[in-house]
Amino acid sequence: MTRTQLWNWALYIALMALILGWLGWGKPFKIQGLFLASGLAVGSLYALGGIGMVVLFRASGVLNFSSGAAGAAGAMTAWQLAEWGVWPPATWLACILVALAITLAYGRFLAPRLAWREPVVKAVATLGFALIILGLVSFLWIDDPRSITLPTDKMGIKFLGLRITVTRLIVFFASIGIVIGIWAFLAKTAIGLQMRSLANDRDLSALLGIPILKVETIAWGISGVLAGFTGLMFADLIRLEPTVITFMVIPSIAAAICGRLDNLALVLIGGLSMGVIENMLTLSNALKGARPIAPFVIAAVVLLYSQRGTRLTFGGRE
Amino acid sequence: MKLKTALSAAITLAGVTAGGQALAADPMCGANTGEAASGDPILVGGIHGNAAPGDFSAATDAAKAYFDCVNANGGINGRPIEYIIENDQWNPELAAQAAAKLVNDTDTVALVANGSFIEMAVNAGTYAEADIMVMASACAISECFESSNIVSTNQGPLPSNLGAVMYAREELGAENIACIGLNIPNNGIWSCEAAINYMEENGGTGSMALINPGAPDVNSALLEAVSSGADTILINQPAGLALAILKAAEEQDLRDAFNWIAPTPLYDLSIPDQVGEYWHGDVYVNAELAPFQVNGPDAQNWIAVMDAYARPEDPRDTFAQAGYLSAKFFTEMMLEMDPADVDDRAKVADAIRAIKGKTSDLMCGPYYVGDADFHMPNHAGYMVKIIEGGYEIVRDCYEYDSSYFDPHLKLEAEMGLQ
Repeated sequence: MTRTQLWNWALYIALMALILGWLGWGKPFKIQGLFLASGLAVGSLYALGGIGMVVLFRASGVLNFSSGAAGAAGAMTAWQLAEWGVWPPATWLACILVALAITLAYGRFLAPRLAWREPVVKAVATLGFALIILGLVSFLWIDDPRSITLPTDKMGIKFLGLRITVTRLIVFFASIGIVIGIWAFLAKTAIGLQMRSLANDRDLSALLGIPILKVETIAWGISGVLAGFTGLMFADLIRLEPTVITFMVIPSIAAAICGRLDNLALVLIGGLSMGVIENMLTLSNALKGARPIAPFVIAAVVLLYSQRGTRLTFGGRE
Repeated sequence: MKLKTALSAAITLAGVTAGGQALAADPMCGANTGEAASGDPILVGGIHGNAAPGDFSAATDAAKAYFDCVNANGGINGRPIEYIIENDQWNPELAAQAAAKLVNDTDTVALVANGSFIEMAVNAGTYAEADIMVMASACAISECFESSNIVSTNQGPLPSNLGAVMYAREELGAENIACIGLNIPNNGIWSCEAAINYMEENGGTGSMALINPGAPDVNSALLEAVSSGADTILINQPAGLALAILKAAEEQDLRDAFNWIAPTPLYDLSIPDQVGEYWHGDVYVNAELAPFQVNGPDAQNWIAVMDAYARPEDPRDTFAQAGYLSAKFFTEMMLEMDPADVDDRAKVADAIRAIKGKTSDLMCGPYYVGDADFHMPNHAGYMVKIIEGGYEIVRDCYEYDSSYFDPHLKLEAEMGLQ
């Protein structure tokens, strides 16, 4: 670790301690703990969404706005199957499979047609796809109160007087595990190497004979599985509303930006920090109204900080 | 939705077995002549909001069913009602366009069964300027109740909150309430403030925890309410958000630490199954119109009208009851008018303002309009408790007691309704 990195970590820890200490000042420890635990669970979901985006972006150059909609379609399918009395684990699997199928369909049939277009065009195309999925889901399932409950919601541990459900623990540890797993996959496997190669230079990778379609399909597949898992967890922990799950992608983008669309560990830390700060802001009467913009303020601050000392010139960046 | 339809069928069946006339009888509408109306239609409008994330079309669906029934039964002195429905899609621009189309471009004589979060705030001025009356049915914001040309059969969040809080204070011993509302000034803040004022007027206290509609997570608002020192939590939210709050509270096992109360949005037949066994017997909900098991003659006629003239998938819920009532009161008023005046918007508006003393077993009190800058005829209701498979009535029709209603009670006294 370089000296600059050490300084950055120290600054991050000091800032978080300052912000959390300030927001929680004068509140009982249990109340602070409740907000912290709640924020970590929400932050884990932001991070999971962001991780899926970064994996795909690194392999294909597509910033996928449709992962939330794919997760929403999966979650609604799981709910419907549960209503029909299907065995619960099969409904959870269906959620992931539906999100996977939707994401793969886009990645296999639509994304290649836009492969040589600008990144903005590719991103906006996925946004359009997200709105189509959301429209279809809203058409199939009219607005009605619904909920998904997992058996792990009933199980929990007591930690310093607060109850943390196993579902929240699953989400938190899954986000860490997925980051480690994907890092290992990218670093240790041939496909991972090919993905990194594609991310580095798509044209050169094609000339070298890397099977672009296959590698990209795998990346879309990973993204789809993550979208399904995140959608299911979001439906359980937050709420089962297609619109809300679809637009979960917005704070996920902020988390991905914290990792500069590249570093998965930073995406995880960014997502968790956003969730915690967003929740803790509730404790401030003056700032609670700013909760929805908190992820973007954090992402903007991170971007500004990471760009310090550089300037754009006609020749590029100095 | 299928559950709702199935339950409504069950309710109808219960009505039949209870000795009611329900399905056995034909629906009763308007002049009830049994002959189809013909001739020049009388134009009536209606605006609802239906787009993600909410559908407020149940009231206009029910009103349309009633008007279709009226048209099949003699219409208004032989003339049919042409009911034109617009959708604001929760978009202020579209709401303004819908009102302009119905009020300025079409010779509608009134608007009936409007239901929206948006359109009343946007169009209250338009209605006043054109002096067209709106007999709304699914109102949720202050402009709907504090405007000269809008009157609604439903209560909206403010009276329903007051009813729930009043019950909690009198029956559950509530002294300090935390109201979890939407961070929308003319909805959540407006209605939570009234509940807090009621508590303070009666020696208690209260606070509010607001959920920003743009924020997906409800847990922090729940935690804010929990940390306020309240003994009672008022979930002043649409059903979907209320469900999410109850789920988050279950996660923390908070049921026994608080009284749990809610206004009408939690009176939805799919809720008892959705909240699960954990909450059965512990959540008290105010019902602004008659709960389904009351099943009086008008409730049975409403179901008969819906079965005969509405689509099977149209909801049979509180907003549908409110839509039916608005359409029914409007039709009765039109039938009482001089047939030569029913196309005259100004005369129809005057006739609507003169409505008073209309009763129905779906409502606790009389329906009236009056000439005022505010209208809230429905300020009495029921209290129910969520139990397995449905709701149990824990308090029959009762008037809500709050200084907010002082001007309304004064108006009622002036109209001879007290």
